[in-house]
Amino acid sequence: MNTLETVQGMLVDEFKLPADRLVPEAKLEDLGVDSLNQIDLIFKLEDRFNLKIKDDARKLVTIQDVVGYIDELVAQQQTRSDHSPSA
Amino acid sequence: MFRRVAITGLGVVSPIGNSIEELFSSLYAGKSGIRALPEPLSKSSQCSIGAVVDLPPRDDLPKMRLLDRVSQLTLAAASQAVADAGIDFAAEDRDRCGVAVGTGMGGAKTTDEGYYTLYWERSDRIAPFTVIRAMTNAAGASLGLEYALCGPNLTYSTACSSSAVSLGEAAGKIRTGDVDVMLAGGSEAPLTPGVLRAWEAMRTLAQVDDNEPSASCRPFAATRSGLVLGEGAAFLVLESWEHALSRGASIHAELIGYGLTTDTEHITRPTIAGQAKAMRSALRSAGCAPDQIDYINAHGTATVQNDRVETLAIKEVFGEYARRLPVSSTKSTHGHLLGAAGALEFMICVGCLERGWIPPTMHLNAPDPACDLDYVAEGPRSVTPLRVAMSNSFAFGGTNAVLIAQRFEK
Repeated sequence: MNTLETVQGMLVDEFKLPADRLVPEAKLEDLGVDSLNQIDLIFKLEDRFNLKIKDDARKLVTIQDVVGYIDELVAQQQTRSDHSPSA
Repeated sequence: MFRRVAITGLGVVSPIGNSIEELFSSLYAGKSGIRALPEPLSKSSQCSIGAVVDLPPRDDLPKMRLLDRVSQLTLAAASQAVADAGIDFAAEDRDRCGVAVGTGMGGAKTTDEGYYTLYWERSDRIAPFTVIRAMTNAAGASLGLEYALCGPNLTYSTACSSSAVSLGEAAGKIRTGDVDVMLAGGSEAPLTPGVLRAWEAMRTLAQVDDNEPSASCRPFAATRSGLVLGEGAAFLVLESWEHALSRGASIHAELIGYGLTTDTEHITRPTIAGQAKAMRSALRSAGCAPDQIDYINAHGTATVQNDRVETLAIKEVFGEYARRLPVSSTKSTHGHLLGAAGALEFMICVGCLERGWIPPTMHLNAPDPACDLDYVAEGPRSVTPLRVAMSNSFAFGGTNAVLIAQRFEK
């Protein structure tokens, strides 16, 4: 399952949103995921992707923004662990 | 000139019914809502029983994720009250409509879960909505948002008298003309491991009756051993008399009296004088002589202290008439709803005035010799006339609140 599908699945399961509205360019605010709910979304994304998303995370407007940001963080984490000293 | 206060809407979710009709059919049948708690709750303390509301947690709507069980119970009860009142808030001056909620422990389950995560799981993953779910005024806020009521939104927390206070204070705001309508009542959701344990540590919880767990709460009985914690919510629509008449509302009863006093001798031990003063104060505000009260729904927690002291306080206020005055404790079947108890029991008084009968104190086969009033032990009783009823609520912390309702004469 790619990142987009995972995020879409979370929005359906946790936020009870209809799958057909969850196109990449859909805006979170338009879907009812307001700033308060975005805090919860970030919390769940952290758990799901085992990430730490900082408070100064860039403004995430659309689903694609979320997906792009997650992919970026996952890639950074991958790079870090590749360079970490091995025993 | 003080305005009269009409009760035009009733809504309830309780261990003995999730509607007024269900509540009263349970009261009539003496059906108890006290039962074995589900696991893992039953394993969390020696007290394996509680009075549970049959209302599954809701997560079907995004807004429900913001709500602790105490707020979910609140919305369920209040929506019945609003529907029953037939009030359309869109057609009202919303600035003159408000909310008053009594709750002892607020979003206790959310708080408990947060501590579990932090101290047991040793994780820093505290859910982001912990504050807005757990804050004591969360239930009130959920009502303000749901119905867009822009007048006062107040939360009263005086332990076991919280919602008697919320109703009394809400009525006061209507009486003085500050507002026209108040959605008022109480809610409590204390059935969590941390809260159960805390009450158990106070040594106030009933010992489980192994033969019949549902009969473990026995107010006024020689064998009483304490209270049984219950969850639930009860909300009423209160409005000024003129307002109710002008919109053609049907009126259940009138809230005519409210008395409020504080015991200052001890944080938990009740006093005869404090309770008696609260009853007298309520009688005075209602303009009633003692012998005009036809029924008392007692605080009747089934703790050794409360039931004796309350009996003596009733005798002090009502004198010889106390012998003929029926008094019952419905906590014998619905348990102790703490911050929601006052509203539920006042609502029972209102329903009794409409129906012409009063509910029994269940499980009272052998009264404590020190408890020698007429506790309606034999079963539901028709009372004629049944015109005025009093509801007592006394609390840890010393807040004694008494409400009086009068039947609506059509």
